[in-house]
Amino acid sequence: MGTALNLALIVLLLTTAILAVTARDLLAAVIIFSVYSLIMALMWQRLQAPDLALTEAAVGAGVTTVLFVVTIFKTRRREEE
Amino acid sequence: MKRTVSLLFIAALAALLLYVVANMPPMGDPANPTATHVIPRYLENAEEETHTENVITGIILNYRGYDTMGEVTVIFCALAAVLAVLGRERRGAIEGFVDRSEVVSSTIVRTMVRFMVPFILLFSLYTIFHGESSPGGGFQGGAIIGGSMIVFTTIFGLAESSRRVPQRIRAALEGAAVMGFFLVGALGLLGGGEFLTYAWPKVAPGLQPSLVVWLTILVEVGIGLGGAMVLTSILFAMIREEEIATAS
Repeated sequence: MGTALNLALIVLLLTTAILAVTARDLLAAVIIFSVYSLIMALMWQRLQAPDLALTEAAVGAGVTTVLFVVTIFKTRRREEE
Repeated sequence: MKRTVSLLFIAALAALLLYVVANMPPMGDPANPTATHVIPRYLENAEEETHTENVITGIILNYRGYDTMGEVTVIFCALAAVLAVLGRERRGAIEGFVDRSEVVSSTIVRTMVRFMVPFILLFSLYTIFHGESSPGGGFQGGAIIGGSMIVFTTIFGLAESSRRVPQRIRAALEGAAVMGFFLVGALGLLGGGEFLTYAWPKVAPGLQPSLVVWLTILVEVGIGLGGAMVLTSILFAMIREEEIATAS
């Protein structure tokens, strides 16, 4: 059970990481990155680091996402090729 | 050409990193140097030396005081950099793009936010004050306060939320938090101990455990409130569009 959950989390983590880097729509990339942070927070909790899990959830999934969205709102949404 | 070079460079870097990872001591091995010296020392002496039940807090706010000093300085520098580029709003009412959004937030959303924000703030205070006995602490609590400010600002607008948390309060708390941290840290040095230790052998050989706990909580509160205000100020500086003419 524990191993299956860990494997699922790692697969999800890698998928979201690759998607966040490759996404052309920057708003989508930011949302995916926020999901990445959320999964990372779960992983920290699985690794018995609740302090880090709290930080990751609050800063990574919460605050930085909003700051990125604000930045996109003020600049451009699409990545240029 | 450029692509090939960068691909080769990334491949070489990946190979090097994988090689290093493969040669690292296995995670969780009791024979690791960290597990034979550092961890036992922290686990056995932390509660007695730092008087914090949560060993993590004892490590961050005592043994590794210089690390935390660097982190506090980095967060403060981030704010200084943002303000240097974007500028601090003038005292008075300001407006951001959330205020001129064409989509009006519904009554349900406004009521929910009004209902939720006090509870989020309560949770952040819990995180800050219980940092010495349970997971969490100043940084986490401060980030949660910052999150609640973001939610509030998104729904009620920048003008309203900068009226609730005016600049003079933020500026004072940001400075006071950093100064307070350095002051408490330096007290440890002046008292004959190390930076940010709450044992002052020169002044009082056996400091009351309750005083040590209160000093730890003071540092946590300083980091929490300071961090929250820094995040709020960065958000305000970023979404600010124009000053309302009647201000100041």
